[in-house]
Order: sequence, then structure tokens, then C-alpha cells
Amino acid sequence: MLRDAVLVAGKDLRIELRSRIGLNQVGPFAIAVLLLFGLALGPDRAVLAAASAGLFWVAVLLSTLLAVQRSYAIESADAARDGLRLSGLDPAGIFLGKAGAVAAQLLVLEAGLTAGVALLYGAHLSGGLVLIAACAAGTLGLAAVGTLYGVVASGLRTRETLLPLLFLPVVAPVLLAATKAWNAALAGTPGRAGGWLDVLVVFAVLYVAIGTVAFGPLLEDG
Amino acid sequence: MNGYVEAGYVVVLGTIGTYGVTLVVRERAARRRVGQAVSSVSAAGSSDPPEAGVPASGSASAGGGEETGPGTLI
Amino acid sequence: MSTPRFALPQGRSRALGVLGAAALVGVAATVWLGLFVTPPDQFMGNLVRLLYIHPPMAWVAFLAYGIASLASLLYLWPRTRAEHFDRLAGASAEVGVVFTGLTLVSGSIWGRPTWGAWWVWDPLLTTTALLFVLYLGYLALRRVPGEFHVRARRSAIGALIAFIDVPIVYFSVEWWRSLHQAPTVLDPTTHKTYVHGSMAWTLLLGFVSFTLVYIWLMAHRYRLGKLEDLEDTEGLGAALAERRAEGEAA
Repeated sequence: MLRDAVLVAGKDLRIELRSRIGLNQVGPFAIAVLLLFGLALGPDRAVLAAASAGLFWVAVLLSTLLAVQRSYAIESADAARDGLRLSGLDPAGIFLGKAGAVAAQLLVLEAGLTAGVALLYGAHLSGGLVLIAACAAGTLGLAAVGTLYGVVASGLRTRETLLPLLFLPVVAPVLLAATKAWNAALAGTPGRAGGWLDVLVVFAVLYVAIGTVAFGPLLEDG
Repeated sequence: MNGYVEAGYVVVLGTIGTYGVTLVVRERAARRRVGQAVSSVSAAGSSDPPEAGVPASGSASAGGGEETGPGTLI
Repeated sequence: MSTPRFALPQGRSRALGVLGAAALVGVAATVWLGLFVTPPDQFMGNLVRLLYIHPPMAWVAFLAYGIASLASLLYLWPRTRAEHFDRLAGASAEVGVVFTGLTLVSGSIWGRPTWGAWWVWDPLLTTTALLFVLYLGYLALRRVPGEFHVRARRSAIGALIAFIDVPIVYFSVEWWRSLHQAPTVLDPTTHKTYVHGSMAWTLLLGFVSFTLVYIWLMAHRYRLGKLEDLEDTEGLGAALAERRAEGEAA
């Protein structure tokens, strides 16, 4: 299973390195989101700085949707599921591989977004360890849920609208917990983030576990 | 203040009532359509060999078999 | 083959009719007691009357969610897999989404004069709002076309992914709110004012009556689902028979 996971993750990441869609499209999308938030919430940097964590994570959530869509688009267009099914790889491995690749790309994106938030909103970056821990656990949970729902939506004509509808409500706790953890860190009180990090870890573990089991059946269907 | 109370009761009861009515209406319509489909199959299929009907009847009779009897809830 | 090959579901089931009547009586009694018989509250005045309706809505919303989740689980478990569990889940979800919406609306209507706002980020209300959207996503997933078993399994997995989330959401939001000390529906000071005497009985009656309403609605939605599935299979059979008849006539 792990070997297949590494295989799939490697393939996905190599495709990304070659095509650079993540870099050229998802990245700018995330920056655009930050800019739009800036426009919406006004030039008062105090407001933006206070909201930085939340805006950061909303941008991450939306970018996850794109990253997941892309993850399935790189399989042979609409026959994505057939290609994966016939590959003979362990479905759990495929799940871990794809989710891992999505997570890796998101982490890179988050590094960029962190810089963006510091620059555009004047967020004062402190409590680095907590920031990173929240990103790691949160991203893993997001990637797991996204990859899981992504396989269901892939190949459907309604995928662009179905995936966000399914994905966003489920990951609401990640948004909440990650934002609170980041707020604690940015406010200079990283100790307060402990419980929220626990929530993120529990969520990630839970949905990675569910994914390894549920991905196979979902892949076979349809 | 009382306006809120009345509004609340009206909205809740109205919505549930409307939903219940639409369910019953949809159910009657569906029953009618199934009845038509069944009779058109019987009429058109008087000479046909069983194959065409087997998948349909297989699942249909499995579904229909538990329905008889006035005491059942469903 | 002139005889139908199966029996259509009973148009009228006596038990269902009795249930419906009981539900109707119960609701009517609750409304009468709630609006006219019970006294206004010491603190809330007449607004307490909405609290005979709102908690039962929330109860049913979460009951429906629980049953949909359980039915989905039973469908996925090989030993208990059966078509009726999938239909049960779907029926419960549709009824559930209606009650979830009503929970939000009734809570909002109660909240406006009480707290001065149409919405507060109360843990229960917020979880209910998220439950509402989760339900809608589940129902959208159910409508994705496919063969029965494929659809059922996919929906069941989707249900579990979504509904396992609800406790996590609740605890996260509750913790989030507890850090801020804001009005909550389960606030002890508003809670203890109406648990005495006729108010308590009315509330209990409300819970029971709306549970009966839920069961009645569920039963009808279940039957509707069954009929729609039959329609699909019979419709296919009819089309095939027609083609065959055409072929033979030619």
C-alpha cells in the first residue's frame, strides 16, 4: 500500500513539476483571493491584520478545491476513475498518494500565502512552530476529505459545483480550529493553541483513516 | 412581541403541512405512473418471452412482496 | 401475461393513517396549549411559546440525522445490506433537511426579540446550520445518476463522511463560543424558567407530537422512494416490451 502511495504521489508531483499548473494557476488564484479580501475589508490594516488567520485559511480551503480538481483532471480526462481502477494499484495506496500530493502542493502554497498575509495584511508572524503545526495537520485533513470527495465528483458533469458543496461544510471544523490556532500564535500566545491543534490532528487522523477504507469502494462505483 | 410568536407558529406549521401535502401528492402521482407502466408492460408483453421482464420483475417483486396487509406501516 | 407480476404498495395503510391522525392531534394540542393555555413566562413573556416549537424541531433534525447515519451504516455493513436501508436514509435526510431549516428559522424568530439579532453564533444553532448544508450536500449526492447499488453505496459513504463530522463541528464550535461568553439557546437562565407545570408538559407533548410527524413524513417519503425506483425498473420493462412488440409486429 505504501509503495503504491509513493508511486502515485511521485507521479502526481512529477506531472505538477512539469506542467506547473499549481504554480501558474492555483498560486495566483490564492493571491487573488487575498487581494480581494483586502479590497472587501477595507484599507484599514488593523482590521486586516486581526482577520489574517481567518482569511489565510479561507484562501487555503478554496485553493484545496482547485488542487483536488486538478489532481483528478490529470488522470485521463473523464475516464479518470477507469484509469486508476485498471492500474492495478491498491486503492488505499492511490488515496494516500493522491492526498499526499495534494497536501504537498498545498503546503508549498501556504508558505507563499503566509508571506502574502504578512505583506498585504501586516500580520505579525510569531509562534512559528504553532503556525507550521497547524498547517501540517490542517492541510492533511483538507487533502484527505478533498481527495475522498474528489473521486466521487470526478467524471461527473456536475463536479465543479458538487465538490465544493460536499467539501466545504465538512471541513468547517478545520477552518475554525486552524484559524484559532493561528490567532493564538499571531497574538503571541502560542500556548493557547494546544486544544485547537488537537482538533486538527484528530480530524486529520480520522479522515485519512476513513479515506483509506472508503476510497476503494468509491473508486469502483460509477 | 406577539407578532414573532404567531409568525413562528405559522411558518413551522405551514412548512410541515405543505411538505406533507406535496409528499402525498407526489406519492399518488408516482403510484399512478407505476400502475400505467405495469399495465402497459402486461399489455405489450403478452407474447414476449420472460427475459425482458425478468430483471424488472425480480427487483419489483422483491420490493412489492412486503407491501401487502393492512397492518403494515409501510 | 396479463396479470401484474407484483402487488403495488398499499394505497392506504391503516397503521399509517392512525399514526397520521395521532400526529395531527398531538400537534394541534401542542399548539393550543402553547398558544393559549400556558401562561407567559416571567422573563420572556409570550416569547416562551416559541420554545414549545423550536426545541422539537431541533430534536427531529438531529434524530433524522442519526437515523440517516445509522441506516447508511447498516447499508454498508455486508450482513445487513438491504435496499430498504438506503431508502430509509434518503427519506430521513429529506425530512431532516426540512426540520433543520425550520430549526434555524424558528430559532432565528425567537432570537430576534430575545437577543436583538436574527442570528447569533450559538454552538447549537451554528452546528444546525452546518448540518443543514451537510444534508443538502448529501441529497445532491443521492441525485447523481447510477445503478441502484452504486448510488446507494456512494450515498452511504458520503453520508458517513459528512455526518461523522457533526460531533467534531459541535465540540469545536462549543469551545469556540465558550471562550467568548455570548448568549446561547441552552443558557441556564433561560432554561430553568420554563420547566415547570403546564409548560413542561406542553414541551413534552411537542417533542412527542413532532416525532410522530417525522415518522409519518418519513414513511410517506420512503414509499415515494420505493415507487420511484419501481417506476424506473417498470419503465424500463415497459420500454423493452414495447420495442419487442414493435419488432414482432414488423
